[in-house]
Amino acid sequence: MSGLQPGAGSEGAAARSSAGESPTSVSIAIGPLVGPVLRRVVGMLAARADLPLDRLDDAVLVADLIAARAPAHVTTERIDVALEPGQRRLALRVGPLRDGGGKALIVDAAVPGVGNVIEQLADSVEVTSGGPEPGEFLNVRLAYNNGGT
Amino acid sequence: MPDDIPGFDHRVAGGSVPALDSDITLTLPARPENIALVRHAIGALGAGIRLPKATVDDMRLAVTEACTNVVRHAYSDHDGRIEVVIRPDGEAINVIVSDHGRGLGSSPDVAGPGLGLSLIAALTDRLEIDHAPQKGSRLLMAFLRRRNAHPVGAV
Repeated sequence: MSGLQPGAGSEGAAARSSAGESPTSVSIAIGPLVGPVLRRVVGMLAARADLPLDRLDDAVLVADLIAARAPAHVTTERIDVALEPGQRRLALRVGPLRDGGGKALIVDAAVPGVGNVIEQLADSVEVTSGGPEPGEFLNVRLAYNNGGT
Repeated sequence: MPDDIPGFDHRVAGGSVPALDSDITLTLPARPENIALVRHAIGALGAGIRLPKATVDDMRLAVTEACTNVVRHAYSDHDGRIEVVIRPDGEAINVIVSDHGRGLGSSPDVAGPGLGLSLIAALTDRLEIDHAPQKGSRLLMAFLRRRNAHPVGAV
């Protein structure tokens, strides 16, 4: 996952993270605790990133979707998520996922009558592979801009 | 909101208490603000498996002390990381806080002996400490799910 760019006038924890600090990572064995733990971690990092309440809620919703859908697409029995809070932005990297798992996870996040929630809420969604680590990774970035999300 | 979306079945439903048959690993930069993150994760765990509030409070406080030790003392001249593993072990839940810093010992930035380890020992049902100079430290803190059960060990 590419590093986040520091925002103008950014200070504190978010700025330090965006300056290249290694991300926070959470690894949870698949089970009933994936959702509760992941949503708390994402919610807190979104708050630390100074995302406004509506975008914080979006981030938690994305976390819930990942927790609910990712178990079918991982290569191990764990859900691994790396998180990088920046100034008014939060990046998540989910994986390793099996081949095709990144796209499948995005598709699985579609809700009848609503559409694809992750794609609608995120500022960018990207599937990457071929790095030093085997497998695919789903990279999701949420941000807040005064002119809109 | 997630409650309105079909398919979200990972939440703890009323009436059932899921067993903690999985483990959680958090790896974080050793910074003060991340201690709160660990506390939140423990809160989620406690709610998820319906641990008694007193047990969760003890876990939070003990882990806070352990993580604070890492943040304050482990990496004096460089950035480092904390690893927190929450893992079931029979009737107990083990919380392991480890770092790759300078290890435990007298710290140049502390005037006298701190209360952190004593407090952790008082809050846990079992405490194991491994450390080596410049190779880091590892605290294993065991908390019985039912605190009136027999202790799983001694300090």
